Amino acid sequence: MTNVDGNRKKPTGVTRRTALKTAASGLALLAAPATVMRSAHAAGKHMDLDSLRAAKIDWRQAEGSKITIGVIPAGYFKNLEAVLSDFAELTGVEARLEMTPPGQIRQKAVLDLSTGTGTWASHSADPMYYPLYVANNWVDPLDGYLGNSKLTDNDWFQYEDILAGWRGVTSVDGKPYGIPYDGEATIQVYRKDVFDKLGLKPAETFEQFTSNAGAAHDPDNRLWGAALRGFKGAGQNMYIYPSIFRAFGGEWFDGSGKMTVNSPEAVAALEWYINLLNNYAPKGVENWNWPDIADAFGQGTVASYIDAHGSAAVIANPEKSKVVGKIGFARWPKGPSGKRVTSIWNWSFPINSALSDKDKAATWLFIQWAASRETQIATSHAFPGAYKRTGANRTSVWAMDDYRAVLGSAGDNFISATTTSFAEDTDVEWRPRLPQWPAVGDTMATAIQASLVGQATVSDALNEAQRKIEGILKG
Amino acid sequence: MKQRRGGLASSEQGFALLMVGPGLLALILTTTFPLAYLIWSSFQNINLAMPFLNGFAGMENYVSMMSDGQFWHSLKLTAIYTLSSVFLQLAIGLGLALLVMQIPKGQWLFRIAAILPIVLAPVVVGLFWRTLMLAPEFGIVDFIVRALGFGSINWLGSPVPALVSVIIIHTWQWTPFAFLVLLASLASLPPDVFEAARIDRANAFQRFIYITLPLIRPAIVIVVIMRSMIALSAFAAIFATTGGGPGTASEILNLYAYKTSFVELNFGYGSALAVSLLIITMGVSGILFYLRTARRS
Repeated sequence: MTNVDGNRKKPTGVTRRTALKTAASGLALLAAPATVMRSAHAAGKHMDLDSLRAAKIDWRQAEGSKITIGVIPAGYFKNLEAVLSDFAELTGVEARLEMTPPGQIRQKAVLDLSTGTGTWASHSADPMYYPLYVANNWVDPLDGYLGNSKLTDNDWFQYEDILAGWRGVTSVDGKPYGIPYDGEATIQVYRKDVFDKLGLKPAETFEQFTSNAGAAHDPDNRLWGAALRGFKGAGQNMYIYPSIFRAFGGEWFDGSGKMTVNSPEAVAALEWYINLLNNYAPKGVENWNWPDIADAFGQGTVASYIDAHGSAAVIANPEKSKVVGKIGFARWPKGPSGKRVTSIWNWSFPINSALSDKDKAATWLFIQWAASRETQIATSHAFPGAYKRTGANRTSVWAMDDYRAVLGSAGDNFISATTTSFAEDTDVEWRPRLPQWPAVGDTMATAIQASLVGQATVSDALNEAQRKIEGILKG
Repeated sequence: MKQRRGGLASSEQGFALLMVGPGLLALILTTTFPLAYLIWSSFQNINLAMPFLNGFAGMENYVSMMSDGQFWHSLKLTAIYTLSSVFLQLAIGLGLALLVMQIPKGQWLFRIAAILPIVLAPVVVGLFWRTLMLAPEFGIVDFIVRALGFGSINWLGSPVPALVSVIIIHTWQWTPFAFLVLLASLASLPPDVFEAARIDRANAFQRFIYITLPLIRPAIVIVVIMRSMIALSAFAAIFATTGGGPGTASEILNLYAYKTSFVELNFGYGSALAVSLLIITMGVSGILFYLRTARRS
């Protein structure tokens, strides 16, 4: 009972008083087991704190700190917020999650980091922003935290258990700067009933993806062949195009390190994308982001798409979708270069370098807690609410039967397509990693959309992007 | 007596200054200071993506603006957007006001209806038009256009219709403003002038050209000035409907300045773009104000 903290002292005190009062009546015998049970099962409200206390670190070393963490208002962070009281109980640190829409969180984080105000101790960071953060020394390298036995018990935390691609993309020059919390792979999603009826198989090659779309395309009966993100943005069309570009054998940087976006592979990749969308996607697809695609698929008007595996939460939800039970999943098709390239997206937590040492320790404890196996489980399949996370950060969690049982209901081949993509189809150079990414990503997004809607030809748009990017990189 | 009054006035002056002081200070801190900072940063290299290049840039940002195709493109769009939307607002607003003047009873109903679009936040207007009105296949506008046999038009997804759409949206929201101002001005015109004109056998068209228009000119000029200033710095509705796209087809100067600063993180160049927009807006309003006073005298 020595390590029982404030919250649990009260009930035991009451029990003891009750026990003293009623000792003679023999009720003490009944009260005692209750006391023992409460302290032996050191349960927080949501998770077993003893398995967290098994870590050989002092969880209470930053007691009394107050930290704010910026996150997006997504289910996976809302689940984390729901179990946050256990973190307070474990550490005595008061952490608050500030929900900020995904369209604004990058700008808010950059403003906070660049002004050094330290408003957000950490935030859910876009992996593409780490080169920018590191160039300005806005965030701390985390190797010092991971290697410090006062702060981290890696035998318990097991950083290496986090998916390898995600660790790679949150590191710069081999040093980790963010710890992934939740993420996704992009995979093929198709209408199994439609494909079965037409005798189609999920695409193995890019040509096959197009021909499948053509075969299923039947706009007179309100079924369009395929959809991909068309909306302009570094996180929208420039989220899907890089996979196509890499699968066509494109390289962002040539041998001398010069960035090239108008190579023959780039032109071929963009032509494939435009040809597919112009011929087989619903009108308006140039303004579609993933929710629009998932909604249309859920309404039964799109036969196939490639996007984040997490979009299954929409299309497999009987309240929102008319195609539950008719969904199949597969990895990306192989590009002409023979490669399949999935996204390598995750939300990770960095440490703001403008913080005091005590707040940095508190923030690290929060990150370690949030990324730990225990918290991942408590916010995924073990979460009592309706929303279960589908983007757990650890290989060991993806191997758990309970986790797979919850996810498997999404549809045919969902888990296997996703885990194989994680293991075999990720590519750290999926998108060009450099400090100027925000400008480069936006320039590419504009070029992709401009050629999709016919404002410019593919080669003109890419040449213009190349010219602009050279200007951006020159400064 | 005289001296005492002067003393009183000067002591009141000090007191008045004391009272105004905090407000003035707040105003300086929230408007003048950011403006001065904006102008200062337009002469600097401030690029968060390349902090090692930061420093004094002199006129460099302004010089590179001259050879920046995107700047001229967005300037051209700003001119098209402002001219056409202000003209449409004025023409439609005046037409509606003249019509409503003919209605003897129930004008208040039109006034209330006219206020509704004005009080909506431009972002809401943008999202409303994007999802409910202009969406292909599902939108009301597309439904009507298809019913009329023109086929489905991808309003926000093709370059020219996208620009037309954002002009229509702006016009839809702000025509009521022109309508209300002109209606009030029309209502206050002296009836005896019109009576005299009628006795002199001026027809309706002549009465409009030679009497109504000159009399409501001050109101028209005010509408043009205010609407031009707002149209030049329009942002939210376009941002919400097209985000400046598709490609850069509706990226007016204000959106380009925003994108350069807050998406590309090039604050020096973005500030220079914003300052140039400020100069243009002030220049245009200055000319209009000058025309107004010059004509009057």
